[in-house]
Amino acid sequence: MFPARIQEYLRPRSVAEALAAITRYDAGDAIFLAGGQSAMQAIKSRMLRPQCVVDLQGIAELKGVSVSNGALTIGAMTRYVEIAGHGQLDGAFAALRDATSHVGDRQVRNRGTIGGSVCWNYVAACTPTVVLALAGAMNLAAADGSQRSVAADDFFLGPLETARRDDEILLSVSWPAPPPRTGSAYKKWGLVTDALPVIGVAVTVTLDAAGQCSAARIALAGLADGAQRGKLGEAKLVGSRGETAAIDAAMGAIADAADAHSDMSADADYRKQLIRSLGREVATRAFDRARG
Amino acid sequence: MPVINVTVNGTRYEENVSERLLLVDFLRDQLALTGTHVGCTYEGVCGACTIHLDGEAVKSCLMLAVQADGHTLTTIEGLGGDKLSPLQQAFTDNHSLHCGFCTPGILMNMSEFLRDNPDPSDDEIRRGLVGNLCRCTGYVHIVRAVREAARVMREQG
Repeated sequence: MFPARIQEYLRPRSVAEALAAITRYDAGDAIFLAGGQSAMQAIKSRMLRPQCVVDLQGIAELKGVSVSNGALTIGAMTRYVEIAGHGQLDGAFAALRDATSHVGDRQVRNRGTIGGSVCWNYVAACTPTVVLALAGAMNLAAADGSQRSVAADDFFLGPLETARRDDEILLSVSWPAPPPRTGSAYKKWGLVTDALPVIGVAVTVTLDAAGQCSAARIALAGLADGAQRGKLGEAKLVGSRGETAAIDAAMGAIADAADAHSDMSADADYRKQLIRSLGREVATRAFDRARG
Repeated sequence: MPVINVTVNGTRYEENVSERLLLVDFLRDQLALTGTHVGCTYEGVCGACTIHLDGEAVKSCLMLAVQADGHTLTTIEGLGGDKLSPLQQAFTDNHSLHCGFCTPGILMNMSEFLRDNPDPSDDEIRRGLVGNLCRCTGYVHIVRAVREAARVMREQG
């Protein structure tokens, strides 16, 4: 495990400098390095052989969490430890803290970033799944000065694939102010504490004034196609009041239809059972948080 | 070959490094600070190479040496100074190491952990240790030592 030859290491101070650096190389020959907790593994194993590493650690404009009138923007280079410990991420955004406080280990959370995780989009990862359930928007900038915002539903294309082009940089993940009475939650099960999810479930629900669910999104981690919605279950949560029977019906529908695989971590039936059991716990918590 | 400026354990170094040199290999092979260990095959799973980067515990096998340019590092050699730190003393007193290979990484991780968690529960300590593998002790004596060090550090203020 040792990197192949790297010709150039650059540490730009601004987004404009970073984009100028990446476009000096052919597509794929230069890579952005965020926290490096996944990318460095790929570089050391030579799955990635970048000629140029563009390290984003020096770009202050990519860092930080801002909450303004309820809207949330998290800079791409904001680390897990900063999200997990942020005092304003509750209710609608609480799933972000649920996930980031259990990613990897302390050392990983001190370096790993939300932007690195969503752009890497590993097949079994917590952050893409939570961003998908919470319907985050990925804000991208390109070297020609253009910017675009891509909804989570359109951004995550499958394991290690996203809608980001090689010449685009992720600026931030953002959300408008959530409707009142919105709550979210996430939980995973892995082989050891805080390991990658064998299955992870993220749920967000919005309740009307009478406490009835008016909108729901469910996303799963740990299936072979990567982070994905559980739309069959969403439809069953809407109209309910978060009763255990309704939640079980929703998660049961997702589990029954899930294209679960068997591997050394768990067999397909066990994965489906995890969807049901984690799903009940997570959805119940999301409803509780929506009620405030 | 790039030149980097780093401060390690209070000493400033100006060194030529290859772009692809890992930070852990820079510390061990170029600065001869061999207390930082490599316990896995550089997959970032064992935690033995944990150091402090600007005061925070990170795995030095998951960084390039050039990334440390301009930063301040502390390795196990810089943890205690002339005498053992309370954490190191507690590890000695509680038989918290057998072969000792994982110990530098655990000490670097737990010394930062105790700064933020002066009175941790056993569960918190165990969760804090997730990134460090120990194949000898079964962790029981490690947890005991961290708890004792926390008490000593609280009493010392």
